[in-house]
Amino acid sequence: MNRSELLFDRPTDLFASEPPEMRGHDRDDVRLMVSTPGSDAHYSFTELPGLLEPGDLLVVNESATLPASLPAASRLGNIRLNLSTRFTDDLWLAEPRWSPSRPGPLPLKEREILQIGEAKAFLLQQYPGIPRLWFTRLDTPASRLMAKYGEPIHYCYTPAYPMSNYQTIFSRFPGSVEMPSAARPITAHVLDMLRSRGIGIVGVILHTGVSSLEIEDETVEHQALYPEVFRVPEATANAINATHARGGRVIAVGTTVVRALETAWTPNGLRACSGATGLYIHPGNGVHVIDGLLTGLHDPVTSHLAMLSAVAGIDRVKKAYGEAIRNRYLWHEFGDSHLLWRQDAN
Amino acid sequence: MKGVALVTGAGRGLGRIIASFLAGQGHDIVITARTSTELHDVAQFLEGNDVRIVPIPGDITDQVHRTRLLQQTRAMGSLSLLVNNASDLGEIPRPELALASLERFRLTLETNLVAPIALIQESLPQLEQTRGLVVNISSDASQGGYERWGIYGSSKAALDLASKTLAAELKPRHISVVSVDPGDMRTRMHQDAFLGEDISDRPLPEVTLPFWAWLVGQDPERITGMRYQAQGTLWEVPA
Repeated sequence: MNRSELLFDRPTDLFASEPPEMRGHDRDDVRLMVSTPGSDAHYSFTELPGLLEPGDLLVVNESATLPASLPAASRLGNIRLNLSTRFTDDLWLAEPRWSPSRPGPLPLKEREILQIGEAKAFLLQQYPGIPRLWFTRLDTPASRLMAKYGEPIHYCYTPAYPMSNYQTIFSRFPGSVEMPSAARPITAHVLDMLRSRGIGIVGVILHTGVSSLEIEDETVEHQALYPEVFRVPEATANAINATHARGGRVIAVGTTVVRALETAWTPNGLRACSGATGLYIHPGNGVHVIDGLLTGLHDPVTSHLAMLSAVAGIDRVKKAYGEAIRNRYLWHEFGDSHLLWRQDAN
Repeated sequence: MKGVALVTGAGRGLGRIIASFLAGQGHDIVITARTSTELHDVAQFLEGNDVRIVPIPGDITDQVHRTRLLQQTRAMGSLSLLVNNASDLGEIPRPELALASLERFRLTLETNLVAPIALIQESLPQLEQTRGLVVNISSDASQGGYERWGIYGSSKAALDLASKTLAAELKPRHISVVSVDPGDMRTRMHQDAFLGEDISDRPLPEVTLPFWAWLVGQDPERITGMRYQAQGTLWEVPA
């Protein structure tokens, strides 16, 4: 797949800059576009339960978000160090940035030392193929630095809100540096409706790293992705296999869930599986586990779009995104929702 | 502190990358390789990490050399990570197994199979103290059955089995053993294996850094007996 296939124009005034609750609305007060092979239809998010059938199964990410953005002093002045991927409490993959709104790469060198409060961060080596990310050793456990100095990772289109805005109703296991946001609009009210309609909900864990930027390689499949820690529990694998066995549909809530599930997939069904996954899902390898994907709206030329194309084909994705732009759907973690059914699901 | 690591074959390629990663991590390291100049270059390159790097040139098939290595790790504390990376490709160009020199085959087995096991045997007291981890570097040639890879491949296949067996046997002593296939890389060994061919499409050994970062974060006793592909898409922790 050529990177130009994942290009589209999207006005920047469609970036959601604040959570709905900041405007006095409920979290579920966002829009929901539902894409099938034949149509892209518009709903409000609270209509989701009625759009699913009894016996369908939602799979959610139970990872909770950390305050992973740290202020750092460096040779270049005051910068930000966004922690991305935890290897140990004192060894992380991290992204130095000029500021939340201004990405790197910064002209930093191996063994350079950043100062975070009284603690030191040593930049060891750059990530192979992703030079903006550094293997970083901290002389103080990251958990302590985050508790003292951390704020949620945020970008140009939004300020940092209190941490509770970055957790979903399913957040239980701290470890993500950016909110797995697809489940954000699921409120207790929506959850009740889903349950009373007979729709199952099971969890996986995948701790997210920092957002990937635009794919740089001309060939989408060649882009380097870094691994993420995940867990597909046995009960979840069993529930998914049972759902498929009786003809129900499995809907991943978020791209993180797709990555975890596809990693645990075997031709004989899903298995319990834990570890780190570097799986890159694109049209070349496809998806096997899910029948639908509930997610937000993603940026042009990202690996997320490659995954969406694996679910529904690039033509359907672009048609849906054209529809979303015409109808002024909002992008990013506080934005609107999109339920994308696989080509052969309906 | 992080404890003492021993990396064999650390003069270039993958061994050099592993050593530099561990130094950045704060490990004191004993490094060894046969080519003294390269080994001292690595030691010099790693200075400034605020850790102790001790280069001891020599051949790991030599018991006197092995004893020296382990006396050094003992003197620095106690060995917590043994990386058996030094490998011998065998005859170049790679011969067909049916026609290969048996004498040369035995030398490859000495370096790739017997010496790593000898180092493990001899370091057991130290590894037991630290509940340490042994990493044996393997190869996809150990499973491939590729033509002209029979010598190197069979030595690595045997090392894989030794790793798994040792993992089972050493579990009660809390010593862990894993086997790691680093995948194809642009190294001198790879170039020797593909004499005269262009290998510039292979990634540099830095491509394995994410795996080493992940590995040092694991509880060794949970992953003992596993075989990993450093460039693979899944690094699994068994249930």
